[in-house]
Amino acid sequence: MEKRIREELLALFKSKLSRPMEMYLETCARCGICTEACHAYASMPLPKYTPAYRAEVVRRIYKNYFRWQGKTVPKAGECKKLDETIIDELKEAAYSCTGCRRCMVYCPFGIDTQQIMSIAKLLLVGAHAEPELLSLLADVSISKGESIDSFKEGFLEGVKNLEEEVVEKWRHEAGRTPIPTEVVGAEILYVALAGAHSIIPAAAIFNAAKENWTLSFFEAVNFGAFVGDPTKTKIIMDRIINEAKRLKVKEVCICECGTAFRVMSQLSGSRPFKVSSITEVHSRYLKEGRIRLDKSKFNVPITYHDPCQIARNGGVIDEPRYILSHLTDNFIEMSQDPKYNWCCGGGGGLVALGEETLDFRMKSAKVKAEQISKTGAAILATACENCHTQLSNLNEHYKLGMNVQFLSSLVSDALAK
Amino acid sequence: MNETIKADKVMDLKGLPCPMPVVKVSKGIKEVAVGQVIEAISTDPGALTDFPAWAKTSGNQILKTEQSGKEIHFFIKRLS
Repeated sequence: MEKRIREELLALFKSKLSRPMEMYLETCARCGICTEACHAYASMPLPKYTPAYRAEVVRRIYKNYFRWQGKTVPKAGECKKLDETIIDELKEAAYSCTGCRRCMVYCPFGIDTQQIMSIAKLLLVGAHAEPELLSLLADVSISKGESIDSFKEGFLEGVKNLEEEVVEKWRHEAGRTPIPTEVVGAEILYVALAGAHSIIPAAAIFNAAKENWTLSFFEAVNFGAFVGDPTKTKIIMDRIINEAKRLKVKEVCICECGTAFRVMSQLSGSRPFKVSSITEVHSRYLKEGRIRLDKSKFNVPITYHDPCQIARNGGVIDEPRYILSHLTDNFIEMSQDPKYNWCCGGGGGLVALGEETLDFRMKSAKVKAEQISKTGAAILATACENCHTQLSNLNEHYKLGMNVQFLSSLVSDALAK
Repeated sequence: MNETIKADKVMDLKGLPCPMPVVKVSKGIKEVAVGQVIEAISTDPGALTDFPAWAKTSGNQILKTEQSGKEIHFFIKRLS
């Protein structure tokens, strides 16, 4: 590796060395408690799938360049040089970790492997060795932000075509647009995904609750975060922040997308609006009596998969259960404590990489498939696009025979007139 | 002008989860020769902003976009 490239990569590494990060890199006691906390290791017990091993790939570079060991006794001090040979190790570590942080809740020191993997991902970006597809997706989001005015007309026409289906789910009321856009002063800016399935149920529920809402022109998901590029993450996030500011909305509601919610709620800093997940908003509507659900709609057992970025990492745990209590009397918990729920195995950009990662995703989430199967439920609900895709893949691969559904779809189908 | 474009490859992307339409069209365009055209069919309104942005980013050209009921047909020419 050329000296110049190594220096650039080390500058990127240094940019990530916050106090918490230094603590994570300094602290591992090799107790091994994290080992079986990782779904990948629990499904495929190879040392390279333990959180401590993954962290060690980064930690050894840290020791070599940022600690005394590298300067004095690199061989004895478990140090590793930053060169071409370590790129594959960084890639294997970073992209076998879904960033679910289950290991973190088990670690007695609270070491955040996902954060350590963010260094690995950034080094891969710096070395142009990241998955090309994730960078392309991030660049598409950025390009859209730069040229949105030229795309608006087509988007509005596409949205118009969905209105009929929205009205089928909830009656149209005079003077209201089924899918409003560009509403200055709206209470809520709803940020969906590209798919109609992310817009239609949400619109019906907003309309049933008589919400003053407006649909964003942008997709919620942040591929900059998936690929681990902080600059792109910020540019993609700022498109939505600027739209929310321009429209003077009070709340930004993020669709069922875990990464989108975590990025907007935890990385957007100080902002003049509240950030909520759509699950929180639906729970609030039920509490306030703004919507009612017909419990007779689903007469089969329902279980719920907590998306890691929304539940364990985002704190939205009670709200989906409150919604489910209005949907069914036959709810079956998947794990004793949702905070320790297994990851679906598709996070961290793995689902976005599609068939390229399918074999690993299926093998590494065997424990998840077993957990789902044990519930005996007929409907498997979740509140994240990524999880939904991965769970649907698991359903097919392991022949679970479940009906995988978005929680918001169940809510919109059960709206009581 | 209502020009008819002959597609060398047709891709049905209807109802796919995020971000599969863009992922699949990124792979699909590499399966035709430079100068050839794919027709990508979607029902997602977001495709109307995603695909032009993808074409710009990836250096390909959207020759025509047709909306037919709920279906959106993109005719995309591989440029590089």
